[in-house]
Amino acid sequence: MREGTTKVVAVDVGGTFTDVCVLDQSDGVLEVAKVSSTPDPIDGVLAGVAAAGIDLDEVALFCHGTTVATNALITRRLPNAAMVTSRGFRDVIEIRRGTRDDLWDAYKDNAPPYIRRRDRFEVTERVDCTGKVLEELDEDDARRVARTLARRGVETVAVCFINAYANPAHEQRMAEILAEELPDVSISTSSDVLPELFEHERFSTTVANAVLSPLVSGYVSELGRRLESGGYDGDLLILHSGGGVMTPEAVERLAVRLAASGIAAGAVACQYTAALCGYPNAIGLDMGGTSTDISLVYDGRLRVTNEWFVEHGYPICLPSIEVLTIGAGGGSLATIDAAGSLRSGPQSAGSVPGPASYGTGGEEPTTTDANLVLGRLGDRLVGGEMTLDPALAEQAIRSRIAEPLSLETTEAASAIVQVANANMADAVRLISLQRGYDPREFALVVFGGAGALHGAALAKELSIPTVVVPPRPGAWSALGCLMVDIRHDLSQMFLAPAHEADAEDVEAVFADLERQGRELLEAEGVPEDRIRLERSIAMRYLGQWRSMNVDVGAPVTDLAAAVEQFHREHEREFSYRRDEAPVELYRLELTAIGQTDDVRLPRQERADDPQMPSPVHTRDVWFDGFDEPQPTPVYERAALPAGVQFVGPAVVDQLDTTTLVPPGVLAEIDEHLNIRMHITEGS
Amino acid sequence: MSAQSTTPEELNRGLDPVTFEVLKNSFVTVVDEMAEQILRTCHSFVIFARDFSCALCDAEGNTIMQGSQDIAVHVGTLHLKAKAILEDFEGDIHEGDVFAINDPYRGGTHFSDVSIVRPVFADGELIALAQANGHWADMGGSTPGSFDISATDHFGEGVRIPPVRIVDRGVVRADVINLVARNTRAPGDIVGDCHAQIEATRIAEQEIFRLIDKYGTDTVVTAFAAVQDYVERLTRARIAELPDGVWETEDHIDVDPGSEEGLVAVRVKMTISGDEIVYDLSASDPAIENFLNSGAGVAFSGAIASAKTFMPDIPLNSGFYRAIKVEIGPEGTVVNAGWPLAVTGCVSGAYEKIMNAGFELWSQLMPERAMACCFNLEYLLVGGRDQRADDRPFFMWYDWMAGGWGGRNGKDGQNATSPVFGVGLAVQPLEGQERLTPVVTSTHEIITDSGGPGRHRGGCGVRKGGELTQVEHAVMSYCCDRARSVTWGIAGGLPSVPHGVWLNAGTDRERFLGANFSNVPVGPGDRFERPSAGGGGFGDPLERDPAEVLEDVIDGYVSIERAERDYGVVVREIDAELSHYEVDEAATTAARERERAGRGARLEEDPEAVARRFRNGELDVLDLVRHYGVILDWGSGELLPRTTEQYRALLRRRSAAHWPEA
Repeated sequence: MREGTTKVVAVDVGGTFTDVCVLDQSDGVLEVAKVSSTPDPIDGVLAGVAAAGIDLDEVALFCHGTTVATNALITRRLPNAAMVTSRGFRDVIEIRRGTRDDLWDAYKDNAPPYIRRRDRFEVTERVDCTGKVLEELDEDDARRVARTLARRGVETVAVCFINAYANPAHEQRMAEILAEELPDVSISTSSDVLPELFEHERFSTTVANAVLSPLVSGYVSELGRRLESGGYDGDLLILHSGGGVMTPEAVERLAVRLAASGIAAGAVACQYTAALCGYPNAIGLDMGGTSTDISLVYDGRLRVTNEWFVEHGYPICLPSIEVLTIGAGGGSLATIDAAGSLRSGPQSAGSVPGPASYGTGGEEPTTTDANLVLGRLGDRLVGGEMTLDPALAEQAIRSRIAEPLSLETTEAASAIVQVANANMADAVRLISLQRGYDPREFALVVFGGAGALHGAALAKELSIPTVVVPPRPGAWSALGCLMVDIRHDLSQMFLAPAHEADAEDVEAVFADLERQGRELLEAEGVPEDRIRLERSIAMRYLGQWRSMNVDVGAPVTDLAAAVEQFHREHEREFSYRRDEAPVELYRLELTAIGQTDDVRLPRQERADDPQMPSPVHTRDVWFDGFDEPQPTPVYERAALPAGVQFVGPAVVDQLDTTTLVPPGVLAEIDEHLNIRMHITEGS
Repeated sequence: MSAQSTTPEELNRGLDPVTFEVLKNSFVTVVDEMAEQILRTCHSFVIFARDFSCALCDAEGNTIMQGSQDIAVHVGTLHLKAKAILEDFEGDIHEGDVFAINDPYRGGTHFSDVSIVRPVFADGELIALAQANGHWADMGGSTPGSFDISATDHFGEGVRIPPVRIVDRGVVRADVINLVARNTRAPGDIVGDCHAQIEATRIAEQEIFRLIDKYGTDTVVTAFAAVQDYVERLTRARIAELPDGVWETEDHIDVDPGSEEGLVAVRVKMTISGDEIVYDLSASDPAIENFLNSGAGVAFSGAIASAKTFMPDIPLNSGFYRAIKVEIGPEGTVVNAGWPLAVTGCVSGAYEKIMNAGFELWSQLMPERAMACCFNLEYLLVGGRDQRADDRPFFMWYDWMAGGWGGRNGKDGQNATSPVFGVGLAVQPLEGQERLTPVVTSTHEIITDSGGPGRHRGGCGVRKGGELTQVEHAVMSYCCDRARSVTWGIAGGLPSVPHGVWLNAGTDRERFLGANFSNVPVGPGDRFERPSAGGGGFGDPLERDPAEVLEDVIDGYVSIERAERDYGVVVREIDAELSHYEVDEAATTAARERERAGRGARLEEDPEAVARRFRNGELDVLDLVRHYGVILDWGSGELLPRTTEQYRALLRRRSAAHWPEA
């Protein structure tokens, strides 16, 4: 971090908005600016920085989460790319695993592969599963292909050979030949990007890396240049899918790690908030206009998956934070289906035409309209810049839902919200209960524009005792970019039954991974005292197909403890263990962490006798379980000092969100200016 | 029917709309949670590849909800298995019990699919059954993987599990589980999968208890019924929009090995009246002397799954089966073989034919969702001893492929997609196979020209093959079909390619083994390969936009030669290295005129003369199945006269009849 200045900047570029958060580390003051995203995202980034009213030369650290990579994959706006593979296997990435996302709809197709068949080339070579060469690389063949690619003006190449995880020599030689014939072209080999078993998963990850590489590296270096010419001379750190940040140099080698950069930020923010509040376990609910992202923190750590994709059929198998996205948001449409049942989402009114109450042409009722009719949402949004029309909301709910179901309008509105909440609760159950986690041991961290309206009801439904609403819910996920360390995830296949494996061999592989991790961090200028290395072993019962990660310490001298740990973890997650069954080691994994400086968030000491401010006004709000609307005080959030406690019903309004505190729920403002709601059985 | 005419309380048996919707979605979550648990803990690679299914059934065994990612062939069989258990153990079902069943003669699919069923009790009363059904890798019998094409009855196929108790009031009956496991080649995996499935049903039970705590037993049990009513209403509303009438077609299994050559008909008649559909399969041909027959459960499933394909958004439960009925007819037919006739290959045999015949009928009813025939499910199995390890363990190279789906109205078919049998069934990674078995894969690629030509081309099929290395006492078996009843086009579209395994192709030891065989001895150095078919074409190929044909040539989905032969499009190569090709417009117009004038007559040419031209290399397989309608034994080149006559009639009906007059 740059000396002498105290401002750190986090920028989250989304599809619609670019959020810029400026945090002054000296006093913890947080400024937020929201501008529209632009066709060249860098224009939006700089516009956001300008809107936040800061000069780049007073910025100490610049962190960034971006959907540039995700969008490029989805829209297929990709550079001229080619693939070179073993003879007989050029269609592996098109055959995939054969499956289709929608099992029954024969008219819903898989997306096409990132590299078309005409751009996939074969060379003669083959190694077997032990790494033994069955057929030498035909160098004439390889050079012929390289020259063809040069003639075609290819900008990036994926080199993907069968069994290259067991012996990378042929891939490396192919890369050399390509480099000779195509000097300025970016080359990704599967043995470098993901040295793991299973050809489609490895090839697919490598191909995604290849197609993203020129694009993302170009973006990151252009951003660096423009920041620099604006006066910034600190580090640029980019958030990657695994919930760490990486430097522009690391992006150049492994561009695919940015594929979920935009989604990871919210999960990281949840993890950070939970830790700040002292909750080891938390579920993050980032609810926006069209969708909700749900993440899970257990024992202080986010759940990470190696089975992740942007589009079904094209896995990206580097560690990615597990985020479950469902089609439920403020704009979710409420409908009655052909059999007379009330449904909520996944269709959304979007920003056009928007919810009925926006008065922008939307005629179908949304969750936002229902909240408005129930008085839970006020008729002014974003600090009064936007007004909502309750009459339009009522009209939509009455004609589309209430009358067909023979309900009062408010009953119908309440039903819409309850169905939406139930859908979200089901999604939370899928990532918690189903994985053996009991929601009662978790806190619910709610953010995004709509999360705080639904948090209390969801917590009650799920028996979650505490809800945390961070101080700036609308911009909270952007802050996630600031809250992480530099992370490199390295791994090595190690297939052996645990009782036959030699601890010394395991230790040797870990030592090698550590050396690589250290080298990467040192090249990035991370000092020794900031380096942390975490080891884990992926294991499974012999014969099982999926593995599970177990953390291990260093050095490894005995595998019995790790095996016992595996039995325990398996029992926790799947509710049974098989002590008599042999356990197999699958893969050794190392996370090399370069710790960044801690961020300092806004903080306010609790006054000895904090005073509750007077409500701005009082309005009637319908709550579940009440036959009458309840007169409910409405507070301005900024006026609530740390340390105050109050009991619902209450509504807390702020620029970017509304928090609903149902009757009987105890709410307090903590020293980090979070609202914490305590949900009890009776509330 | 109109939702507005009754109040929601009447519709949903007194449940308010919120409670109803919440419980309905919760039931989906319950079965999906079971599925996730199985997927993460299973041992069988077949289950891991998603050949399994889960259901929640009510106290009568009717399905309340089936998993959203389940394998198609299990649709409509889970309630039958549940009912079989209720029937056999009536009055003797207790809290803490768990049962197993795989019996294809009691509604099951084949012996490999084993259901684990847990009764769920509330206040001492049975209210539901949680069921997890998975394909176990081996169930004994004469062939590794339990697929013996030569078996004519159940005794050669594998272990039959009638309804049997495996957990008795909470105590696991290890003796009973062992009785089954020890009759298989992979007892450790079988026990592991059994445990994974037992635990999955326990998770479902916990979730039901949670719902009962919150809503009360009465409400939850009422919702079990209301959710079935709901699906029935949705289905009936959809059917009511369709015209009344009777639609009929037939699709075919290649041959009855116990009889002379000739296609075996699976006949599907569909009657729509008002808001109800009745499928009638009873006019199908008699059962055949191999394992491609099906039992009644699978026949029911095939009919239901074809309907579901055209109403993909309707959830599946017994409400669907109340609006769509299936007459299977008496035992003794190819769709209802009856004990003890062999049925293990039903998934490649009768099931596929019912599904695709259904697609043909529904394509007329819903032209906007029309689809030609899809490639037939295929399984290749090499089993023996692996000499790479000192103890020379059993190995099984058990492989299935993706293939092409039928051309559609306005869209080409999908390339390389899992079979209609189960679109979630994932193909296996060859790098995993090479570790586990002494078989080195030589190719896994899309086949040029494999998609059935049409205005909208069928999706392309795939080729996979390999070489056996350090094997001992190895045999090869294959479960497939459509070497003769070739994957067909509709609305003027043409067929794709015949199935069949080639051994040592291009050498003096070359042999065509056909699309169904078992226990062929193979040894080190033997090479094999087989195609999966493409999908049939949709619409007249001479009307395909030449620009689309050009793109297909550039990507190698279609060759330059066949672009001219099948589509009448003449493509010239300019610079292949740069993928530069162009359409010769004038030559294309001429070729298409010539083709229009000549194609009808080819279906009348003397088949024996055509066979001779094939044998002397003048014509190839694609010419025969697409343009002459002539079917041979592809290994010997010998004409199959009766099959050819039947095949030509089908080609005239599905293809030639839709071509404009020359």
